[in-house]
Amino acid sequence: MAVQQQIDQVGAVPLGKPKLGKRARREELEFYLFISLWVIGFLAFDAGPIVASLLISFTNWTALSPPEFVAMANYQRMIGDPLFYTALRNSIYFGVGSVGLGLIVSFLLALLLNQNVFGMSVFRTIFYLPSVVSGIAVAILWIMILHQDFGLINSVLSWFGIQGPGWLVQPAWAMPALILMSLWGAGGSMVIYLAGLQSVPQHLYEAAAIDGAGTWQKFWTVTIPMMSPVIFYNLIVGFIASIQGFVLVLIMTNGGPANATLVYGLYLYRLAFQFFQMGYASALAWVLLMVIMLITATQFYFARYWVYYEGDLRK
Amino acid sequence: MAHRHEEELARELMRRGLSRREVLKIGMRLGLGATSLGALLAACGQAPAAPSADQPAAAPTAAPAAQPEPTAASIFDASVGASGPWPSSGVAEPGSPVEISVAHAWDATFFERQKQFDQLFMERHPNIIVKAENTPWGEFRQKYVAQAAGGALPDLLYVQFAWAQELIKNGLFIALDDYIAREADFNIDDFTPASLVSYQRDGKLWGIPYDEGPGNLYYNKDLFDAAGIGYPDDSWDLERLKAVAIQLTQGEGPNKIFGLAELPSPGDTLMAPPYLFPFGAEYLTEPKEDFVRINEPAAVAAMEWWQELRDRGAVPSPADLQNVAWPAFQFGKIAMTMQGGGAPPPIRAGSNFNWDIAKWPKGPQAHKTFSAGSAYMITRDSKNPDAAWIYLNEYISTAGQAYMWGSTGRGSPSRLSAWPSYINSPFAPPGATLVEEAMRTTASHEIIDQPTGPQVTQAAGPIWDLVVAGELDVKSALDQIFAAVDPIVAQNRT
Repeated sequence: MAVQQQIDQVGAVPLGKPKLGKRARREELEFYLFISLWVIGFLAFDAGPIVASLLISFTNWTALSPPEFVAMANYQRMIGDPLFYTALRNSIYFGVGSVGLGLIVSFLLALLLNQNVFGMSVFRTIFYLPSVVSGIAVAILWIMILHQDFGLINSVLSWFGIQGPGWLVQPAWAMPALILMSLWGAGGSMVIYLAGLQSVPQHLYEAAAIDGAGTWQKFWTVTIPMMSPVIFYNLIVGFIASIQGFVLVLIMTNGGPANATLVYGLYLYRLAFQFFQMGYASALAWVLLMVIMLITATQFYFARYWVYYEGDLRK
Repeated sequence: MAHRHEEELARELMRRGLSRREVLKIGMRLGLGATSLGALLAACGQAPAAPSADQPAAAPTAAPAAQPEPTAASIFDASVGASGPWPSSGVAEPGSPVEISVAHAWDATFFERQKQFDQLFMERHPNIIVKAENTPWGEFRQKYVAQAAGGALPDLLYVQFAWAQELIKNGLFIALDDYIAREADFNIDDFTPASLVSYQRDGKLWGIPYDEGPGNLYYNKDLFDAAGIGYPDDSWDLERLKAVAIQLTQGEGPNKIFGLAELPSPGDTLMAPPYLFPFGAEYLTEPKEDFVRINEPAAVAAMEWWQELRDRGAVPSPADLQNVAWPAFQFGKIAMTMQGGGAPPPIRAGSNFNWDIAKWPKGPQAHKTFSAGSAYMITRDSKNPDAAWIYLNEYISTAGQAYMWGSTGRGSPSRLSAWPSYINSPFAPPGATLVEEAMRTTASHEIIDQPTGPQVTQAAGPIWDLVVAGELDVKSALDQIFAAVDPIVAQNRT
């Protein structure tokens, strides 16, 4: 009661939603207006199928005959399905490999292209160009680059007396080949890193320099901490995309040889649209969602130890 | 100059109606530039897909020297065969105009022939309006299964042998026995026995096949002549085939000539009749496909026998396939290949050498080859099944098969009475009589066509990849295939 009186005496505004001014209200309206397209699209086209797929995952629906409720049978089937584990393992292998390698390469490229050199915008454009080339063209190019006898990679290896492998035709090398190929899209992440690098305040570098920090120390103590939210964003988005992706795999190897590149998305696609096991495919889709959520949650958990947001206080 | 050549190649690939994925692979192997392929692939969005290796028929895409005069839209003369004689149906004509929809999977060239047939049909049946839907073969199954889920199937549906049992089992079609019983002149015995197998279930007939063709040996006469080797004939057995394949294998790298195009793979639904039966071996027990026989001694011996051709480099390895322009036979890189009855039109269109057909050689235990085909079925969603039957009855009649598949050289009619129109067609291959002879004598429909088929081949194929890659021996691979496939086919034992 005493506290309330004190508040009244100083004329403080009660806690709760702050009263918005005209300009702020307009901004709020614009916010809802802009997101409304996505929300309407989601409700009209995505929400229904998402809910339906959850229900279908508890049935044996084949798309050809009426579904029958099978309770958890589809989820139990996964436990004994060796291809489920193969596909999951391959997807995680591809995700870790492609995101890890892509993160390092695109970050290094961004550092390189953040230099103050004449004509840098041209170089930036050149490095970004591969990201806008269509997937099919990329597949063509990489099938040539990875060719066992005439490919660019094996030709370069031969200069050093190394006989390159059959990248896309030998089970042990097919997945590394696809991971290598995924670097082609590094330009997309590179642009985000570049934007992040350019927003690192210069005064931090100046302060570090006054403290006697060299290039390497400035990189570790200023650049990396300030870029950690961007790295984290690319890690999350890249991993989710890579674990879901399968189009280039379908084109280049179709899961072969010997299921070495059978990724989760491709397995799911085959079950749904070649074997018409919609119930089992839907169950797989929901398990994939759970796996992605688990991995993402883990990434968020560990982010507290290495991601720094401006204004945060380190404990 | 090189760019012009690339554009020419790109146009040729498009003309053959290949799928985007196939174009990608071919274009890469042909060494097309990214610009040409980019434009080509963009254009392929409108191009129909090519039939798979399993699809029995491919359309003629170009005519030989002695072809009939083309009409404005079609390379075929609409009037040839138009007079029938057409069957008179016991099913009453509709009293007022009705529309039927018919789903096809033709390439663009052959679809023009389809339009010619439909136009003539509508002139004979003014109250039946035919609406033809054409879908690229590679997208066909997925599209119509989705429509089945929505209860919106067309009245008549093209169905390939490999899908038929699965679709029939799920109740997508109506049985045709009652309609056939109402037709006084419908002679079921006119159909080759093999052609009906995939469309029968529970003692009923659910579809009428329009074609059924055997696997034959196609050979490049120029390569045989250059090596001074006599052409394949009835005296050939599989030992001779192997010896000649090894003898004709020459060269290295992109210019290498291979003696034979392909070897048996347990990932292939058509494997057993040509590659195992001649050695007294089996893949699965037919017709129920309920037990696996692929790892029994006779099958292991047969697969090891074929494997020697790979060991000797007489067939393309996976790495070679990335070098060799595909389809390699059309580009003169392959001396011999095993193809279905529908192969001649694309070979004729794409080759600039002399070639011919021979019967697939006999083995030590039997003389066999596969036969496969496709059918049309009336769907459960048909709003006008009677009108659909009247159309189907004419479409697969002797006159209909002669008009569509005989006179056009597309080949392998399912009715014996339609074969003369094929053999005498100016579009038919040189050895067309051998196709009919093989159909009568050596062709077997004991191929994988049960609903479990796709799971069987997709379980077996990756294991066999290890043999192809040289990482697993034949016996171990076949034992693994047994272990993987047996649980799948166990569901056929009930």
